[in-house]
Amino acid sequence: MFDKVEAFYRPANVREALRLLHSGKGLARVVAGGTDVVVRGDDSVRFLIDITHAGLSYIRRRGTACIIGATTTMAELEASDVIQALAGGLLSRAARYCGSALIRNMATLGGNMANGSPAADMATPLLVLDATMVMEDSKGRRELPLAEYLVAARTSRYAKALLVEVVIPDPPRGKGCQWSFQKLGRTAVDISLVNVSAGLQLDSRGRVKWARIALGSVAPAPMRAPRAEQRMAGRTLDQALLAEIGAEVAREVSPISDARASAEYRREICSVLTRRALEECSAPAGCSL
Amino acid sequence: MSRDRLVVGHNVRKVDGVKLVTGGAAFTDDVQIPGMLYGKILPSPHAHARIRRIDTTKAKALPGVHAVLTYKDVPRVPHTTAGQAWPEPSPYDTYLLDSKVRFVGDRVAAVAAESRAIAERALGLVEVEYEILPAVLDMEQAMVEGVAVIHDEPDSTKIYDREHNIAGYILREIGSVEQGFRESDYIIEREFRTSRQQHAPLEPHVTISWLDADGRLVIRTSTQVPYHCRRQVAMILQIPVSRVHVIKPRIGGGFGGKQEMLLEDICGALALATRRPVKMEFTREEEFYMARSRHPQRLRMKMGVKRDGTVLASQLTVLATTGAYGSHSTTVQGNTGSKVLPLYRAPHMRFECHVVYTNTPVAGAFRGYGCPQGFFAQETLVDEIACELGMDPLEFHRKNVIRLGDTDLLSAQLGEGKEGLPRLVRSCGLPRCMESAALAIGWAQKRKSFPNGHTHLRRGVGMACTMQGSGIAGVDWASAFLKINEDGSFFLQVGASDVGAGADTVLSQIAAETLGVSLDKIIITSGDTDITPFDVGAYASSTTIISGGAVNKAAGKVRAQVLALASKMLDAPVEQLDCGNNEVFTTCACRKSVKMSDLAMQAMYKEKFQIMDGASHFNTDSPPPFCATFAEVEVDTETGQVRVLHLATAVDPGTAINPMQAEGQVEGAVAQGLGFALTEELVLDANGAPVNPNFLDYKIFGAQDMPKLTTILVETDEPLGPYGAKSISEVPINGPAPAIANAIFHAVGIRIRKLPIRPEDVLRALHAERPANLEEELLTR
Amino acid sequence: MFGSRGVFVMKTMELHLTVNGISQNWSIAPGELLLDVLRRQSYFGVKRGCEKGECGACAVLVDGKPINSCLMFAAQAEGRNILTIEGVADGGKLDPLQEAFLDHGAVQCGFCTGGMVISAKALLDGCPDPSEDQVREALAGHLCRCTGYLKPVEAVLAAASKRKPRARRAKPVAEVAR
Repeated sequence: MFDKVEAFYRPANVREALRLLHSGKGLARVVAGGTDVVVRGDDSVRFLIDITHAGLSYIRRRGTACIIGATTTMAELEASDVIQALAGGLLSRAARYCGSALIRNMATLGGNMANGSPAADMATPLLVLDATMVMEDSKGRRELPLAEYLVAARTSRYAKALLVEVVIPDPPRGKGCQWSFQKLGRTAVDISLVNVSAGLQLDSRGRVKWARIALGSVAPAPMRAPRAEQRMAGRTLDQALLAEIGAEVAREVSPISDARASAEYRREICSVLTRRALEECSAPAGCSL
Repeated sequence: MSRDRLVVGHNVRKVDGVKLVTGGAAFTDDVQIPGMLYGKILPSPHAHARIRRIDTTKAKALPGVHAVLTYKDVPRVPHTTAGQAWPEPSPYDTYLLDSKVRFVGDRVAAVAAESRAIAERALGLVEVEYEILPAVLDMEQAMVEGVAVIHDEPDSTKIYDREHNIAGYILREIGSVEQGFRESDYIIEREFRTSRQQHAPLEPHVTISWLDADGRLVIRTSTQVPYHCRRQVAMILQIPVSRVHVIKPRIGGGFGGKQEMLLEDICGALALATRRPVKMEFTREEEFYMARSRHPQRLRMKMGVKRDGTVLASQLTVLATTGAYGSHSTTVQGNTGSKVLPLYRAPHMRFECHVVYTNTPVAGAFRGYGCPQGFFAQETLVDEIACELGMDPLEFHRKNVIRLGDTDLLSAQLGEGKEGLPRLVRSCGLPRCMESAALAIGWAQKRKSFPNGHTHLRRGVGMACTMQGSGIAGVDWASAFLKINEDGSFFLQVGASDVGAGADTVLSQIAAETLGVSLDKIIITSGDTDITPFDVGAYASSTTIISGGAVNKAAGKVRAQVLALASKMLDAPVEQLDCGNNEVFTTCACRKSVKMSDLAMQAMYKEKFQIMDGASHFNTDSPPPFCATFAEVEVDTETGQVRVLHLATAVDPGTAINPMQAEGQVEGAVAQGLGFALTEELVLDANGAPVNPNFLDYKIFGAQDMPKLTTILVETDEPLGPYGAKSISEVPINGPAPAIANAIFHAVGIRIRKLPIRPEDVLRALHAERPANLEEELLTR
Repeated sequence: MFGSRGVFVMKTMELHLTVNGISQNWSIAPGELLLDVLRRQSYFGVKRGCEKGECGACAVLVDGKPINSCLMFAAQAEGRNILTIEGVADGGKLDPLQEAFLDHGAVQCGFCTGGMVISAKALLDGCPDPSEDQVREALAGHLCRCTGYLKPVEAVLAAASKRKPRARRAKPVAEVAR
């Protein structure tokens, strides 16, 4: 699989990693946890650049944001107090669904994003949290909204840049804020057939003040459901609205049929999971459903 | 024997356990032989094609490549890969390498090179020009006039009707079903479908072959059938049996998939061609489509009953595909009839089956051997009949199932690819199995009123009864050999193949019990054709009863020698002697004893006599183990997901030689049965290529997916088995699918007749059953 | 600094690591996976089951954490501390987990056993008194085709109570709290 690899590098910092990536001329592959790179295999790769020593494993606060280094593992996200406290633990809960414990000890947040899978379990919570991706190349750093990054990751547009960290601006906080992560797999450890993340802020009268819905595995890339979000603004979450939102997300998605599930099934399930996510978000706040 | 059993019936540790928990080098691949080459097969990319031209020049020129074989380089010997007793009932329709390929994954060429990487690169350098032929992928189309003929070669034999792609055909009738249906008050007929389940042993097939110092071909391999393998390889490579030595080390699971000769022949051919050791192994992906699977079937089942629920007639009509080659084709499908229909005491039974070739991966032996398909149909249909009649399915079973003293006549008509022998039920714990599993699941209460609230989650319970065999009557046989050592221990040599299920332990327990020694005094060697005597191998639930029978006989003979010498040493008549606790003692009032070790020394250095003997064993009947499976499920009516909450399995294995291991057999079979029921299916695309040949998308159950398991051993005393044992490893795999399907019906009122029961299918059925106002109906139910 | 393209030359590099307490210095190819290197060095207890990180048969501890050695480049193990199943027993003395696997009939074919014991060891090292759900989660990356998982789960729970004396457990079930 990697029989033609001629050198393995362990750069100690990002700049060194970028230099190696540049001189690799497309024959170099960045590796962190390896859980996607190795599975995919690639006979064309001549140079491997292991970035797990490049100082990108961290979870820290920066101003009004939480910053996660790209090589932070799923296991670290699960265990982190900071992440557990963020958005009701939405991200740490999602991290727990990213494969088995063995995988989560290796798989990294950056890898999960850079892999460009429509089913990436960490993408929907990060979309809900309005996360941005920080890319670095020889010219410096720049920040990209996650949605834009996810579409780009599919086409490797940023192959010459390195995803170095994920920025999560502090989400709404307080009594009316709730979060939910929903996933449907065939077994406990599985790639998502559909996953849904939601975040809601309700005002004191139970009306939707702020809403986020993100859906995975139902489009070429994980996506927000902006029309559904807008429909909820200012309204009370009752069964009728839940049904309306369920129907709306089903219209917004464009799933495919494969061996895992049919497009029709995915469409139907994303309605169901969205409703369940919103129910979970509204139940603790005292809404009667 | 009068005394209590000291070893049999006890939960002893596996005799090979320590090396397995410490990571000892015990498996086929756990050796490094200097100079070993890596062998690899070039798989066909086409479902059906003729090789017009094949050029290996470039591949051979690659540095590090030692051999490239095509059909031009090897003997053409029609054979079957099925590891069955000679003469194998499966068609001889397979070749070491052929000029025609018949499924995606069929052998095109084989290489041996200095590394895996070089071997893989060499495969890419083999130039092949294919004439692509129309492929027959759908078994329903296989017999249609004018479709491609898959086995048009002139030299294959034992094919039922090659012009119509029919590998085998079976028709048997007891009584007259026509009359039975005429006399029935109620007749029901339904169609069922089952999937291409794969064995997925954690250890993929692997073989290492080399020439020993005497130039004999040694084959170290992951097989369930060392002796069949030796005979077949010798025949295919056209060398004498005496020039082949097959070694079976520890095996990482077989489940029937290693009752096939898949790598041994080609690996041997490469070793002969290169005069170097050669290793071949399937990758996980290759294991999924180049190894074997369960036969996919379409089953039409019809049953006629009296108003009071008495079954009068049952008729099962099966269409099955064996894939591109007929390995185990008629025998697996024969079982679908002969081991399934006789569960009910119907006077009229008819079984008809077509087994067809298709250009798909090859099916073969798989735990259950045709029964999981048949019982899925029969037990789901029976549940429907009972529900239609307003009868409790448990009551329906109590009324109709086979009983002690019954003779199953269908088995007399339908044996291993030919006529069989009648099956007399000499031990039967089925009634107790049903009652105990029903109690464990809470059947009586849950069946009547389930506390299903007004939610999208609905619970239900369902049941199924199943049976199997214990060895193939009149075919399976085994032998064993025992000899004493100075310290009073015994070497036990058996041809039986422990593939992980614990045969070495059970056989050692039987020997220890009969000889009156502790288990550590039995040193077992198994599955080495140079050292151990013959055994057909590990299949058909035969090892405990047949190989165990041979061990018991051999131990009995050795025991007689021991007692004869002890009689002399203790000056006591043999009738007053017994063995136990590593000594021989008198059973009369004046207790005298001699240690087994002292007796051994006496024999070996004073009497100059090796205490040793061997025995062979076979049965003319195949005592059925029985099983009752009860399931409780929860159906998510919004997603169609079925969660099994509790699975209670009660099995009658005769005597459980090692209850802990017996439970393990049940639990493992149940896990595979759950996969068969709910998730497992190798899917092919429109060109016959596998879509999901990996554990990412071929879902087997993991630790978090398992329901609560209750395992109940209902022991009986089988007159034909050693210490009353029958068998256990296969029968529990049959029940989960129908029990779950029936529980789903109880929960939500829909019948699913296709496996696996995918959430999507459940949801679709729910929508079809209850359009629009599902919520409302659920509330009023 | 980069070598020639397109020509098949096996480059090698040095790897320094500790395996089962013994410091090692091996020559490896830069693209080799840890699984392949360990097996080549005769750590045969590390099994090749799928090479895709799905089955867990190749699990080893890297600095105390269980990982799939089929997904880790050997070069990534530089300077790390590896524990394979061969290093779990203390000389001739089995670990309580290994004893429990034997006593509970948790070993059938044994092919997945090493990986399961490795993950269970990591679990108990970090969480001496796990719940059944925690045990099942820790074993979730280990496919087993023989046991149905019940006896391995029982064995891990039994080993935990042996390591740390506590009230006798009920026979575990798979009830998941809703």
